[in-house]
Amino acid sequence: MEMSPENNDVDVDVGRREDTKEEVELLERMVDRYFSGKVGEDDEGEEEDKSLLLFLDAVDRISKLSTSTVISSDEFDQINLVLEKAMFLLEKRLSSLLDQEPKSKPSNKSFSFRSRSRSHLSSIYETQSPRPTQQYQQTQDPFNYSPQRISTLNKISTAMIAAGYHIECCMAFAYFRRSAFKNTLQTFGYGNTKMEDLYKMPWESLEGEITSWNQVVWHCTTVLFSAERSLYESIFPNQPSIVQNLFSDLARHVIIHLLDFAQGAVLTKWTTEKLFKFLDMYETLREDVVQGSYLESCEKELAYEINTAKERIVEAIVAMFGDLKNSIENDNERIPVPNGAVHPLTRYVMNYLKYACEYKKTLEHVFEQGEGEMRNGNEKCMEVDEAEDVETPKNSGFAVELMSIMELLDANVERKSKLYKDNALRYFFLMNNGRYIVQKVKGCRELNELMGNNWCRRRQSSLRHYHKNYQRETWSKVLDCLKPEGLQGSRNKVSKQLVKERFKCFNGMFEEIHKCQSSWMVSDNQLQSELRVSISALVIPAYRSFLGRFKQHLESTRHIDKYIKYHPEDIEVLIDDLFAGNVGSMSRRRT
Amino acid sequence: MPATTENNQGSFLGRISIRRNQVLSMDGTHDQEMEDLELFQKHVADRFSELLSSTTEDSSGDALLSISWLRRLLDEFLCCEAEFKAVMLMGRDPSQIAKPPLDKLLPEFLDRVVKSLDICNAVTLGLDAVKNLQRLAEIAVAALDTTPLGDGQVRRAKKALAGLIAAMLHEDNANAKGTERNRSFGRRSGNNAGSNSKDRVRSLSWTMARNWSAAKQIHAMMSNLNAPRGAEASGLAQPIYIMSTVLVFVMWALVAAVPCQERNGLGTHFPLPRQLAWAQPMISLQEKIAEEWKKKEKKGNVGLLEEMQRMEKLGQSLVDFAESFQFPPETERLDEVKKQVEELGEICKRMDEGLEPMQQQIREVFHRVVRSRTEFLVVLDQAGKLSAPTV
Repeated sequence: MEMSPENNDVDVDVGRREDTKEEVELLERMVDRYFSGKVGEDDEGEEEDKSLLLFLDAVDRISKLSTSTVISSDEFDQINLVLEKAMFLLEKRLSSLLDQEPKSKPSNKSFSFRSRSRSHLSSIYETQSPRPTQQYQQTQDPFNYSPQRISTLNKISTAMIAAGYHIECCMAFAYFRRSAFKNTLQTFGYGNTKMEDLYKMPWESLEGEITSWNQVVWHCTTVLFSAERSLYESIFPNQPSIVQNLFSDLARHVIIHLLDFAQGAVLTKWTTEKLFKFLDMYETLREDVVQGSYLESCEKELAYEINTAKERIVEAIVAMFGDLKNSIENDNERIPVPNGAVHPLTRYVMNYLKYACEYKKTLEHVFEQGEGEMRNGNEKCMEVDEAEDVETPKNSGFAVELMSIMELLDANVERKSKLYKDNALRYFFLMNNGRYIVQKVKGCRELNELMGNNWCRRRQSSLRHYHKNYQRETWSKVLDCLKPEGLQGSRNKVSKQLVKERFKCFNGMFEEIHKCQSSWMVSDNQLQSELRVSISALVIPAYRSFLGRFKQHLESTRHIDKYIKYHPEDIEVLIDDLFAGNVGSMSRRRT
Repeated sequence: MPATTENNQGSFLGRISIRRNQVLSMDGTHDQEMEDLELFQKHVADRFSELLSSTTEDSSGDALLSISWLRRLLDEFLCCEAEFKAVMLMGRDPSQIAKPPLDKLLPEFLDRVVKSLDICNAVTLGLDAVKNLQRLAEIAVAALDTTPLGDGQVRRAKKALAGLIAAMLHEDNANAKGTERNRSFGRRSGNNAGSNSKDRVRSLSWTMARNWSAAKQIHAMMSNLNAPRGAEASGLAQPIYIMSTVLVFVMWALVAAVPCQERNGLGTHFPLPRQLAWAQPMISLQEKIAEEWKKKEKKGNVGLLEEMQRMEKLGQSLVDFAESFQFPPETERLDEVKKQVEELGEICKRMDEGLEPMQQQIREVFHRVVRSRTEFLVVLDQAGKLSAPTV
């Protein structure tokens, strides 16, 4: 209410001036008291709180006074001076409240980001979830401000903003909250790594860093950001623009810092064993990293940054598959695998694909995103047979890639099979490896879906083909020994000599095969028994029948056991020795 | 004097006999290539020439190392980079870039690229620190802009400005100390004017890794930066050299301008051979900046950012005013101060408008060079495959 000196209430005027002076002096005294070192540290005490309230109250009254036109310019100056001192103190107080150590320092053990076993190549046999376990959700939040503290912060901030000191207020928040985040991330073992260091880091170390990064990103963008939002909302309940500024500034800074790690990790050489960790990184970024409110102002920028990081990861992943294909193509070993066993490369590739398929959805996204980007490599594989029927898988980029890998693997197996001089062994090898491949595909739902039933059928038919060929190469000559024809000698009678020869021939061949093929290795039990069964079905009836028919001609022979060495049951037993991976011995016989 | 002469035969073209006017089986592809290489050189020269001419005394263009000048520098860098990539990769047989001497030069270049990523990050952090200087200046402007101007406002302004100046002087050392924070809150007497502000600015941004030094990084980037000689000078070694030089220069200029971690010992000598025509504008710019740097180095390290320099001067002058201030103030004095405050406000506005876009440009540079690096690696890989024995 304006008062002019001409007013009759000049006494009131003087009175008012007296009040003003008193107020100012009161505030000055309070300020001086604070200056003399009474600013507390752990200030949850009621005393501190009360005195703060009184202080703020005085500040408020003085501020109002300063806008009044009644006061002299000297008084005005004095008021402003004391207000400035008060604001300075409040800023200090604010800072000390914000500058807190976390209530209890979290020990590194409770986060144990690093305690996961380092995965090497054999991690193909492990599954690792990139999602943090329950444990992390329960960790303490180092941003634990008590409601009292929050209320105090709110009061101080309100006073500062009302007095026009919002810059100082926001700067204090920005500084200390950034520090808090930085320290928290460091406790998680996630520090400031340079791009150059990441680039040069050996894979064993980088792997571990990626694991911890996945979890840090998750924790940060969910738990920590939520807490931060709540903090600002409770301190500045009626100032959404301040909340937005503070939060988006901080979040933006943290997110880009986190993304830089991914950018650095991607600089490493792109080799196949790194695939799974990179898929984990991609999955981390696919989650809604930028979720929640108050990020509208930097939404576009963050989306761009995240997308760019994802693009880099996609490039790397696509290149790793390329690396796999190269390895398969350029594998030019000249020494055949002993005993026609499943080749280590076949195992490696199939297991690799099987574990890759655990990330099937992610990989489909990756290849979709990567389709336009890499100009080379995928082109020739894009030609898929148009005449396929309904049961062909959809031509997703990943499916196409998978197909081309399988083709290369087939070609590789084919190449290797040609190293065998023995045709029987050659077909055996093809069967063994082919079988392994089909079983792996059938045993994995995603792989099965991606390859399609048609592919499986074709595979199985070629397996049958190999089987037939194997049989022919190995056993046709043996069966020739057991043919009932051609045993007539002169005078159209069965020649004893010829029968002897046949038996001898059979024995010799059979024993040779037994010696040789017992050490052949079939990895698949079912295939093993199928083979044995089919050989038995082929050989034993023929032997039995031959034996039955022509045994009599040797009745009076000396050393008949030299010729009729085996009962049919013996043959069966010996056939069961085949493909066991053991050096065969003839000592086993059913008696 | 262009580095290529008519009869000079670059090694990568060495398989077929070349003379500029000779028609090849590939209908003038060679001519096209030579032209492209020369155009690239010319464009680089033109771009830096523009940048140089805007910094002369009488021009109304952007001052050297001002925010807008630096933003233009970054733009020009992106243009050079795009052209470089086109020259190296478009329509080219991959094996060409895998042959000597490129098999050594290209990986060296890509190595420099990786080093530059850390510089980009350091400079971005440095710009965050500059933003905070801007805020301190804004406090001073807000305080001094009030009428009537009282002791309170002047004290507020003085604290902010003292903090500003102190921060500028101590910026580099403070950042190098990493996470050490000043714990002086509430323990000192009220006359410690700048304590709040200093702490606000010092180590405000997240620092780079401990022991990282921008100066050392730049120095490392300069290693092996040698102009190709003789036959190599007309081949692809030349654009690689040019691009490397541009990259190093831009990074160096950024580090000189923006306060970032550990710039002590920033080299001012550039290994640029004087006789190269395309390099002349860059050499002149480099000399100008180096001169400024040496001057400042004596006083204590300040970022050479033009706006920061002006801010420092104004800040100092306003601090003087604040120290001698007595209420009530004289009008003439006030008028002087008003002008300075306006100027300071102007600088703040420039910073407000220019710092974030500049940070985004640096991000763009970051992303672009990473992408290009990938493309080069892919092509090198292809070239490797082509020469590897296949079944």
